[in-house]
Amino acid sequence: MATLDRIIDRLPLPAFLKHEDAGKHYGVIGDFDTPEDLLRAIRTARAAGYSKLEAYTPFPIHGIDEALGEGRSPLGKIVIVCGLAGLTLAILLQWWTGAIDYPLVVAGKPLFAFEPSVPIMFELSVLLAAFGAVLGMLALNKLPQYYHPAFNYSKWAGATNDRFLLAIEAKDPRFSAEEAITFLNAAGSRHSELVEA
Amino acid sequence: MAHTHHDHAHKADNYFLPAAAWTSGRNAFAFVALAGWLGVAAGFIADRKEFFPAYLVAFLFFLSISIGATFFVMVQHLTGSAWSVTVRRLMESLMRALPIFVLLLIPIAFGIHDLYHWSHVEAANDPILKQKLSYLNEKWFLIRNFGVLLVLSVFATRLWAHTRRQDENGSLKHTFAAEKWSAPGVIVLFLGGSVLAFDLIMSLDPHWFSTMFGVIFLTGGALALIATLIVSALSLRKSGYLTHTINEEHYHDLGKWLFALTVFWAYTSFSQYMLIWYGNLPEEIMWFEHRLEGSWLVISALLVVGHFLVPFFSLMPRAMKRNHGVLGFFAGWLLFMHFMDLYWQVMPVFHPHGFAFSWINLAALAAVGGSMGLVFWSGFREKPLIPVGDPRLKQAMAFHNV
Repeated sequence: MATLDRIIDRLPLPAFLKHEDAGKHYGVIGDFDTPEDLLRAIRTARAAGYSKLEAYTPFPIHGIDEALGEGRSPLGKIVIVCGLAGLTLAILLQWWTGAIDYPLVVAGKPLFAFEPSVPIMFELSVLLAAFGAVLGMLALNKLPQYYHPAFNYSKWAGATNDRFLLAIEAKDPRFSAEEAITFLNAAGSRHSELVEA
Repeated sequence: MAHTHHDHAHKADNYFLPAAAWTSGRNAFAFVALAGWLGVAAGFIADRKEFFPAYLVAFLFFLSISIGATFFVMVQHLTGSAWSVTVRRLMESLMRALPIFVLLLIPIAFGIHDLYHWSHVEAANDPILKQKLSYLNEKWFLIRNFGVLLVLSVFATRLWAHTRRQDENGSLKHTFAAEKWSAPGVIVLFLGGSVLAFDLIMSLDPHWFSTMFGVIFLTGGALALIATLIVSALSLRKSGYLTHTINEEHYHDLGKWLFALTVFWAYTSFSQYMLIWYGNLPEEIMWFEHRLEGSWLVISALLVVGHFLVPFFSLMPRAMKRNHGVLGFFAGWLLFMHFMDLYWQVMPVFHPHGFAFSWINLAALAAVGGSMGLVFWSGFREKPLIPVGDPRLKQAMAFHNV
């Protein structure tokens, strides 16, 4: 479809016949030789006032979150809330089933006591915390995601091999395609291009 | 060549103690040790019944730190860990103190009769103890405990010799040799550490038994070691040493260990308690009954709250582990809690109706701690505070928590 849209976009037709995304862009992507070049380009870009940046690399790079100005992930807060919910649920479960719904004395033990409930409290805390961690991670990363506009970059495959890509996104208030291309080229990009949304 | 902002840190840092600073540190440890041994001698003369348990607790407290250090050094070698290289020399110096515990065990050897009632003649008439006497007798008690400490000392001494030689020649062969000593070392350490815990602490109440006991002792030791590392690294930092080499990332990782071992201590201690609570067998439950009696209940509650709940929730957030003030406070607090844990294991046997702190406890801590401190400190005379020859040192300093 993308190819067909592109052909239609190029035809001398009235604007209302063209694809609705025509003229919309994801941003400008440039590619760099090494992680150090990429980190330097990110720092220069932020110093120049760009704020909507995204990096695509074949492996995690130390310090890239700080360079991009990313804050801490809220995942930890999701996990603690889920963990405490599991803890509360376990206490209620042990107390309600043992002492309220079906009170039965076993081996002379109290109907409800913390000693035998701790393993259940521990397990349910861990279980819900793990659910929170996995599902929260997927949600925060917007996964599963089958399409991303960055795939339209002509040298995208490099990001999974040996190239280090930097995108200046179109939603950046300072964004201008020509300036961004010039900027990335000056920062050491081998190939900078405007990428469709 | 890749250049990161950490590259220059190594050269700029202070990792040698000047002669004057070293001497004043040595004098401080020597003073504490001397005052402690005088107090211990006075305590022995004044109150023999109070002296031996107090000395045993102090001995176990510092021994557990030294064994914890030996364990951690071995684990760093076995895992090929890079992040910990900057703090490894401090660990190794605590490990190096292990051989002096062979000497420090001698007073306990003279106190067997005052400490362990299985050594009394009446034990032969006790139907349960009678069957344990082939294990619990003075001869085998001495052979086992001196034997374990001697064997562990061989491992500690070999690991120390290799790291020291690597300072001079930077040769990889010392890294490989340390790995070879560490593999059997961890096994010997766990078996030997369990024997020490069974003999020195568990047999104080010889009717009682718990297979978890050795693990709890070693976990407490590992926790106390991490706490000691944090306290000593932060003290050196305050005096202007290792300010760049041990950076925020390393403190963060030490904080993670402190947190994890607090959890693991609670896990093992609770496992022991829950199974005994559930079984409710007379010979097992009595041990906890004694520790819920009188003011011992306060110490039991203090351990649940202070050794687990408060540090668990306080050390959980990342920001807390990266805050030197918070981390230092909890390291000191958990050392105190580890002491209280051992005190709570040993003392109810001698003070069944409630705890009674004595000045002899402090004297014994000063004596054993000062002696261990002297050995710890002696390794830094004109010698670096970090393993300068370790091939992973540079990697350790560039380390970042994701």
